Amino acid sequence: MAGLMSGATLRKCISLLVYRGKLFSPEHSTSCSYHKKVVDHYENPRNVGSLDKNAQNVGTGLVGAPACGDVMKLQIQVDDNGKIVDAKFKTFGCGSAIASSSLATELVKGKSVDEALTIKNTDIAKELCLPPVKLHCSMLAEDAIKAALSDYRLKQDKKE
Amino acid sequence: MLRVNTLRVLCRTGTLLQTGWSLKDRQSLSRAVTCALQSLQQQFVPQDRGDKRDVGVRHLCTAQVCLTCWNCQHPLKQKPAFFCESCEVVQPPPEDTSYFSILECDCTFTLDTLKLQKKYLQLQRLLHPDNFSQKSEREQGYSESQSALVNKAYETLLKPLSRGLYMLELQGLNIEEGTDSAVNSELLMELMEINEALDAVETPQEANEIGQDTKGKLADLTEQIDTALNKGELQTAKALLTKMKYFANIEEKVKEKLSSFM
Repeated sequence: MAGLMSGATLRKCISLLVYRGKLFSPEHSTSCSYHKKVVDHYENPRNVGSLDKNAQNVGTGLVGAPACGDVMKLQIQVDDNGKIVDAKFKTFGCGSAIASSSLATELVKGKSVDEALTIKNTDIAKELCLPPVKLHCSMLAEDAIKAALSDYRLKQDKKE
Repeated sequence: MLRVNTLRVLCRTGTLLQTGWSLKDRQSLSRAVTCALQSLQQQFVPQDRGDKRDVGVRHLCTAQVCLTCWNCQHPLKQKPAFFCESCEVVQPPPEDTSYFSILECDCTFTLDTLKLQKKYLQLQRLLHPDNFSQKSEREQGYSESQSALVNKAYETLLKPLSRGLYMLELQGLNIEEGTDSAVNSELLMELMEINEALDAVETPQEANEIGQDTKGKLADLTEQIDTALNKGELQTAKALLTKMKYFANIEEKVKEKLSSFM
């Protein structure tokens, strides 16, 4: 276990060193480096956009993080079998918040509504190798998923 | 809890007696004593997160009364004491002193920023490390810490948002990490729309329009926060400061957008 831990730390150090030069630009407002996965999602975000929030099969989650002022919108489109067939997001905040929500849309796609409920912020944080100071971004993404699912559920209950 | 702290104080004192009375250790002792006495105080004073907490500590904390000049041992009566009244040597940065006292301002949300700036410059003229290049290493170190502290105090008190948040912090109230379930969806939708509009602007004029709008909202919020803090309505102030944080972020983004047009 100790061997595995030091390997992960070593990888992080290397990625920090490699990406230092790339990240000292005005768009990246923090002085520490982002993990390459975060940079990837930030520069090539998946599923940016909007779905029709008035559609019956669309759930919209809108969440905010007061400490840092980030705002996150995540929408899901569910088919008749209760499977999430599409997801879109729009996030205004730091790179980690954008990456977390981008990853969240990837994670929910193809899952059923019940399966999507099991997605935890720790899954997102682990996948993106978020540092402790940015863990709240993954929590925000988890809350956005739950808010979208909850909105979808509400719409279905109203229909019945 | 109390016993552990008392033990800690005793152990610390024991170590100090062995290694000699250096100022760094004295500050650590001061901290340890303050911690121990605060936990003592908690047993006797009701958990009131208002001014009483500060006042209580002052009554019970003997460490503060003992502060003397490290150079000539003259008692430091001023609080905060930047220089010794007797030998005029620079002192280490004060502990448990609010930024408001450091910059000699009343602890209120409305602040005369010109007066603040004047006091800041006055202090930096005295404390800046450039004035201490011929002094001892110790004095140079103290001047650096003092100057840095004054900088921090000034930065915090200059802007309404950081000032308001600091005032809440003094009362023991912090904005927690994590999603705010109390923020209503109407506000979040409004923020989303403004952010999306800003993202889509194609001319500096459009960006300026959003900027002016946001400035107006921030001015409104400043007034409301002032009212809430004056009335002591901390939770209201906290909610308003949260809202202010979102709009302050937008203001920053407007500036970035405008500079991208240059």
